Parts: sequence; structure tokens; C-alpha cells
Amino acid sequence: DEEIQFSADEKKQIETYLNSYPEADAAVMSVLWLAQDKFGWLPPEDMKLVATSIDMPYAKVVGVATFYTQYFKKKPGQHVLEVCTCFSCQVMGGYDILHYLEDKLGIKKGEISADGQWQIREAECLGACGSAPMMQVTNGQYVHNLTPAKCDAVIATLEKGEDLPFESVTLPQDEDDLGGNRRSDAEAVVTYQTAPIAETTK
Amino acid sequence: MEVPTPQTNAPETKAGDWRNYKRLLLPPIRDLHQITVYEKHGGYQTIAAILKEARDPKEVAASVKSSGLRGRGGAGFSTGLKWSFMPPVDDRPRYLGVNGDESEPGTFKDRQLLEYNPHRVIEGILIACYAMSLKAAYVYVRGEYDAYITHFEQALADAYEKGYVGEQILGTDFSTDIVVHKGAGAYICGEESSLMNSLEGKRAYPRIKPPFPAQKGLWGMPTTINNVDSLAQAALALEIGPEVYAKIGAERHPGIALYGISGHVVRPGVYEYPTGMLMTDLIYEVCGGIRGGKKLKAVVPGGSSTPVLRADMIEGVTMDAESLRDAGSMMGTGGMLVMDEDTDMVRFLRRITHFYHHESCGQCTPCREGTGWLEKLVTRIDEGEGNLRDLDLLIELCGQMEGRTVCALADAAAWPVRHTITRFRDEFEAKCRPAVFAGADLGGDGHTGDGATVAVEPA
Ligand SMILES: Cc1cc2nc3c(=O)[nH]c(=O)nc-3n(C[C@H](O)[C@H](O)[C@H](O)COP(=O)(O)O)c2cc1C
Ligand code: SF4
Ligand code: FES
Repeated sequence: DEEIQFSADEKKQIETYLNSYPEADAAVMSVLWLAQDKFGWLPPEDMKLVATSIDMPYAKVVGVATFYTQYFKKKPGQHVLEVCTCFSCQVMGGYDILHYLEDKLGIKKGEISADGQWQIREAECLGACGSAPMMQVTNGQYVHNLTPAKCDAVIATLEKGEDLPFESVTLPQDEDDLGGNRRSDAEAVVTYQTAPIAETTK
Repeated sequence: MEVPTPQTNAPETKAGDWRNYKRLLLPPIRDLHQITVYEKHGGYQTIAAILKEARDPKEVAASVKSSGLRGRGGAGFSTGLKWSFMPPVDDRPRYLGVNGDESEPGTFKDRQLLEYNPHRVIEGILIACYAMSLKAAYVYVRGEYDAYITHFEQALADAYEKGYVGEQILGTDFSTDIVVHKGAGAYICGEESSLMNSLEGKRAYPRIKPPFPAQKGLWGMPTTINNVDSLAQAALALEIGPEVYAKIGAERHPGIALYGISGHVVRPGVYEYPTGMLMTDLIYEVCGGIRGGKKLKAVVPGGSSTPVLRADMIEGVTMDAESLRDAGSMMGTGGMLVMDEDTDMVRFLRRITHFYHHESCGQCTPCREGTGWLEKLVTRIDEGEGNLRDLDLLIELCGQMEGRTVCALADAAAWPVRHTITRFRDEFEAKCRPAVFAGADLGGDGHTGDGATVAVEPA
């Protein structure tokens, strides 16, 4: 049997969370994140561990976990592509991107590929509307200004087991004033772009 | 195809000489997110001066109020006035909630502040804590902003390290802790009372008001909730002087706006300019006009809940609460979506109704049921299965949702429906099932009617 436990370091981290709030329940979201980062998702056993670690009733922990979309209550794919099709992304071709990925990976939104590698979800606005269409990968990096070519590149990178870079999106005014990069420590710099007019629009 | 660009060189706008505007909130300084660079450019001097002069906290709040700064989270309420609602200090703890949930579709400005000028946000938090005499601030950032949270936490750690945050700040007896709280994906958590429940580790249902946060907020204690951008601007207003700040931009909605412009423009992005910019200047000059030389069709001025304006409605309209209200919309978050002539307004509205249905917390019947019906009906119309009377039914439904719920999500869901339908009625009618002759069974339910609203054409 796999032992479901937090390490000494993680216990220390939980202690810090608990000390950050006047009441222990407030630490639940942070500890759920900790558990999900460790185990990849939140099956009942792990939620029970969260409950005991902050002395909160299990049912309440479940109540919190189910309120939010980012906590995985079911085992997710290895890579979860959260494609934004909301508002700005919708008018900028978010659905074209979604369908492109569905065709490429052979799965529909909500599904997980047979090998467990890929999952596609339709996301609500992710707060990156100026670089639409965009997606978030497994609760982590944002990928901006999506085109089919960029989707291919992202999938190739993930298939190789490599990490995606953090894309720092430069303000248009900085393109004039700072040569397009305001951070010398950015991993990757992208500018806001307008997606080309899609095939689907006449 | 040559499409004429409207002339927008009005010499006098509320935004003043904006073409020569020097950015203050996100100034062109490389690596400003690093604490040493921020310090080199006057950073943390405003809070240091307040502490050194041991200013009266109430007077600091009054000073922010006199700057005219209105909240940047959507509602546009006076920041200084809100601070003054906190009850007198007693032995209870009191809290600041910093709203970095930024989930209103079309809004993406706070994210850039957290990445590019985090110390300005931290300094704003410190000033708010001082002005309201409180010792703990919780910065609630949406969970999707994981990478930005890491950046912000780094900045915060640096600020702690240098003694700007924590115990006995800068050697005085002013102490304040700042805690970053990571959300996990729920739009409703941006609503201030939902945010408080989420922070407390409850299911994030909004609370009935009153009591307001200043009376009974986090853990039942006096609390103020401010948007990230509002706090950053409060720090800025005090740095440059509230009277100077008050003169920037539109008189009754002064200061700086981070316009997050998305959609079919040549150059989308977050732009910093004074409030009161002409919408046409933003679209045609700042953003380079509509991509591909297309014509403008519609603009949503400030996030998905603010009513859409048709292209013919934006002439002379400026980005401030008063002008936008007169035009029939709202400033919201300043997240502007621009749509060209090819945009399908029915499909556009359909996706919005899906969003609100998905995000309703389900606590109130008019919202839970209403958002579901809005989505169902608009979807039906978009798929060509709708009837003309559905349009009136939708408007009626909006009336039953507005102002009847615990929080404003239901209103936020109803406004775009009401206004997109009234302002683009032709497009909606065109997608409905054609009416064959006057007095036809328009509802498809065996009853005739709707004659007054339907222009009937012989098939
Ligand atoms: C449904 C709903 C969602 C909201 N989302 C946000 C949000 O994401 N960020 C935000 O700052 N304010 C949001 N607000 C507004 C907050 O309730 C609150 O008014 C604001 O944070 C106050 O800050 P300000 O006075 O500095 O603007 C939302 C309100 C409603 C009704
Ligand atoms: S209006 Fe909607 S989102 Fe707000 S509390 Fe009621 S059900 Fe929840
Ligand atoms: S609409 Fe896709 S990021 Fe905002």
C-alpha cells in the first residue's frame, strides 16, 4: 500500500498556512493545493488527509473542493489543456483552437485520451483576453496568441516531457518605450497580437 | 478595400493631452518588479514619509478621498470614502481584503500590475492598512494566476526582507502582515462577500448585505475589500499628491485607467492612459483601428457584464462613469472588447449566457434558474430553433432577475442579454424561425400573438 502522508517539510508548510489565519479552516484551500500538487489530483483519501491535517470535518473539505474548478476531483490527464473559449477568446477564434486540438488529439472537450496523456477542457475567461485565443496547461503556464502552429509546438514540447516557458506579455506601450521587454529575467517574451482572420469568418 | 478611418483628433478631451501622457502606474522602467529598481525610483518613499511624519490615519484616508480615486474593481465607489466607513478602532482585529480575483470576462489588467509593478500594489496595501489602522491584509488572487502569484510572493518576500512589511515597519510601531491567498477557479469569488467566505475556508456563497464588510467582514470583524489596481493607484495618488492626481483625466472619475483592450483591433493589450479617453481614440488611434480594414460593429466597454454599445453609439463617448452611463453602458473594469462587422452577436451573447450560468453559485432561485433559462433560450435562437417571442421572453426574464438576488451576478448576467437583444434585435430576429404570415403560431405552442413586435414578411 502506498502511504498517504505529508512529509515533514509539507507539515511545516501546513503549519505556516495555519499561522497565517485566525482560524484553521481558512488554510483549507492552501492545503488542498498542496495535496493536489503532491498527488496530482484529490481522491477521497487525499481529501481525508487534508481534513485531518487541519482538523476540519471531511465533509466540509469535500464541500470546498467541489466548489472550485481547479481542484481535480477525478483523475485528470497527464496534460490538461484548458482552452479559453469565453468572451474575447470566442470572438478571436477560441473555438477554432478548441476544435483543432480536439482533432489533433482525437478527443473531445471533457475527455481524456486512452493513454491518459491528454485532456481537453473548455475554460472560462482566464484573464488574458488581449492575447486571445489562449489556454492554460494543467493549472500552470498560460500560452498566448494561439494558432494551430503554436498548438503543435506546445504539444511537441509537452510530449518531450519539457516544461513550457512562462510567457511575459509585453505592454504595447513598452514596445515603443522599452524595445518590447520590461523584464530582463523573463523566460520568454511575447507581444499582444491580433489573431489573423480565421477561415471560419467570411 | 479602403475603409475610411473616423477623424478622432478632437483637440480637447477629458483625457487632456493624452498623446504626451507619461505613464505612472506602469512606467517604462525595466525591471521595476525588482525591489531595488522600485526603490531607486522613489518606491516605498510614500509610506516611509507617512510613517516618519506619523500622520493621522484618518487624514491619510481623507487625502485619498480628496484624490477622487474611484475603485477599479467594477463598481467605481470612492476608495477614500470606503476607508472612512471602518468603525473606530477597538480591541477587535480588522482586516483588508485585496481583490485580485480578476475573473470578469474581458478583464486582464490586474495581472499585469501583479507581474510588472508588484511593489506598487504592496505599498498601496501598506497605506490602506495604515489609514484604516489594521494589521493584516489578505491578497486573494485567482488560482489560474499561479505564475503571477509566484512573482508576487517573491516581491512580497523581498519587501518583508527589507522591513517594509511585517513587525515594526521601518523601525516604527506600525506593523502589518500581508498574506497571499490562492483561489481555485470560481468567478463568484471576486464578489466581495464571496471572497470573504472563500478566504475563511467555506463554500464561497455570497453573503446577504447588510451587514456590510466594514461592520461584519472577515471572521465577523471590520473589513474593507479593495481591488489590486485601486490600491496601487491610492499609493500613486499620495505619491504625486492627491490634488495632482485629481486633475488627471475625467473630472468626476479622475485618475489613471489601465485599459485592457481585446478583440478585433490591430494592436490589443493593456494601455495606461488617463480616464476619460474617447472610445474612438482608443480604438482607432491607440489600438490602430480594426484589423484587416474591417468596420467596427460593437464595443463592450468594461467587462462582459457592461452593456454592449453599437458602433453608432460611441461617437464622442469617453471612458468614465458619467459619459458611459449617458451612452447606455458602464465603465466596469475598463476591459474593452472590440468587435468587427463579421461578429455574430447571437453567438457572442450565447457564450456570455453560458458563462453566467456556469458561474452562478446557485444560492438564489432567480439567478440559478434564470441564468439557465437565458442560456437555453439564446442557444435555441442561435441554433435556428428559436421563436420571435423568445426575444420578449428573454427581456422579461431579465426583469425577473435584476435586483432580486443576494449578489449582483444575476444583474451582471441579465444586462448583456437585455442590451444585446435590444441593440441588435435584427440579428436575433434573423436567426429566429421565420414567421409565415401575420397572426402565425409564433410561439409554436398553438397560440398566436406577438404581432406588435414582429415585422412579418410573406414567405
Ligand atoms: C459577480 C461579481 C464579481 C466580481 N468580481 C470582481 C473581481 O474579479 N475583481 C474585483 O476587484 N472586483 C470584483 N467585483 C467587485 C467586488 O465585489 C468589489 O466591489 C470590489 O472588489 C471592490 O474594490 P474597489 O472598490 O477597489 O473597486 C465583483 C462583483 C460581483 C458582483
Ligand atoms: S445572485 Fe447568483 S451568484 Fe449571486 S448569490 Fe445569488 S445565486 Fe449566487
Ligand atoms: S476571454 Fe479568454 S482569456 Fe479572457
